[in-house]
Amino acid sequence: MARFRLEGSKVLAVTLAGGGDVVKAKNGAMVAYDGEMTFKKLTGGGDGLRGMVTRRLTGEQMEVMQVKGQGTCFFADRASDISLVRLNGEKLHVEASNLLCTEGGLRTGTTFTGLRGASQGNGLFTTTVEGTGLAAVLSDGPAVLLRVSSGMPLQVDPGAYVAHQGDLRQSFQSGVNFRTVLGEGSGESFQVRFEGEGVVYVQPSERNTLGGDL
Amino acid sequence: MPFRELSAKLVEARVAPGERLFSQRGAMVGYRGEVRFTPSIQGGQGGWMSMIGRRVANEATPLMTVEGQGTVLFGHGGHHVEVVELDGQTLCVEADRLLAFDGSLQQGTLFLGRDGGVRGMVRGQISGQGLFTTTLSGHGSAAVMAHGGIIQLPIAPGRPVHVDPQAYVAHFGDVRNKLTTALGWRELVGRGSGEAFQLELSGEGMVFVQASEEKL
Repeated sequence: MARFRLEGSKVLAVTLAGGGDVVKAKNGAMVAYDGEMTFKKLTGGGDGLRGMVTRRLTGEQMEVMQVKGQGTCFFADRASDISLVRLNGEKLHVEASNLLCTEGGLRTGTTFTGLRGASQGNGLFTTTVEGTGLAAVLSDGPAVLLRVSSGMPLQVDPGAYVAHQGDLRQSFQSGVNFRTVLGEGSGESFQVRFEGEGVVYVQPSERNTLGGDL
Repeated sequence: MPFRELSAKLVEARVAPGERLFSQRGAMVGYRGEVRFTPSIQGGQGGWMSMIGRRVANEATPLMTVEGQGTVLFGHGGHHVEVVELDGQTLCVEADRLLAFDGSLQQGTLFLGRDGGVRGMVRGQISGQGLFTTTLSGHGSAAVMAHGGIIQLPIAPGRPVHVDPQAYVAHFGDVRNKLTTALGWRELVGRGSGEAFQLELSGEGMVFVQASEEKL
């Protein structure tokens, strides 16, 4: 089994035992390794032909490589912070660009998110990770885990949303009023609302989004 | 040792009379005491011949001499800073990654072609190091900058370390480096894994790797 360890907050060290031990990682994210490693790009995100077509159509394309070998491999991406997420059969929703590395046993796919995606500047679809194992998620600055429970919904800025996990319903809300139209908006006109039971990962930084300037 | 890491991005240097430091010009963010900053026209030590050497080698980063008594804070561009203590080893680092170093260290330039001929030059081009790199040797410490945090990986005989050329920062010790390629048909059709070139470092020593694939 692959062993995941964080070296500081920005470098992920993955120890592979050789044989059939594989991980999937973002293309080009390796910074160093010792031992023997081979890197192979998986066409279409590694979800097979159907997944490839879906990813092409949804614009949720992932550049993924398969890493195989024996030794320790270090991954990092543009000095982003890394959080490890353990999955025990649950489903993790994450933006394709925020997914650094997944254990070989995890499956990835795409789902429809509705309007939220468009406001985030990420398109209408998001990537899902399912199965049992560890996934490494990237965020610009250390990610904050916000818990959502019934009766306690959470509103998140679409540009700061990174990932979510659990039984959550999401809806899109906007607070556009006459001030926004006049160009005097607060910059917080669009939010994603999460309801149900689960956790949401939020980064202390905002991507440029369609609704971000309003 | 005069350098102390105050935070991940700021180092404090102690200067005493009779000692001097070199730092990248403009990297001072604050100081206490009586400290003088003079631009070092020669760009470091070793007299005019060394200066010409650095100019030719394109390893001439504007430096300043720091003298006096007190403490100086250095930081530059929000980059992460790592203090490297040298105890007789030689540190190989790019001149523009060097934030500050002890005046007691010997500065030099190394022609990469010397370490592997033409392959060495190709390696320099691909890793963005150019044909030359700066060396520091002796006893003292140096502050090295990187984008994102730095991790240190030990290199032992029989256990070489492979590094992405863009994430490579510096190394010290008795280390040989070699550019290895893993070019296959996938790269030729534009479907590569983005890891076609790697620097293989073998021998005994330490390599510093940054958590990013961006240059400074």
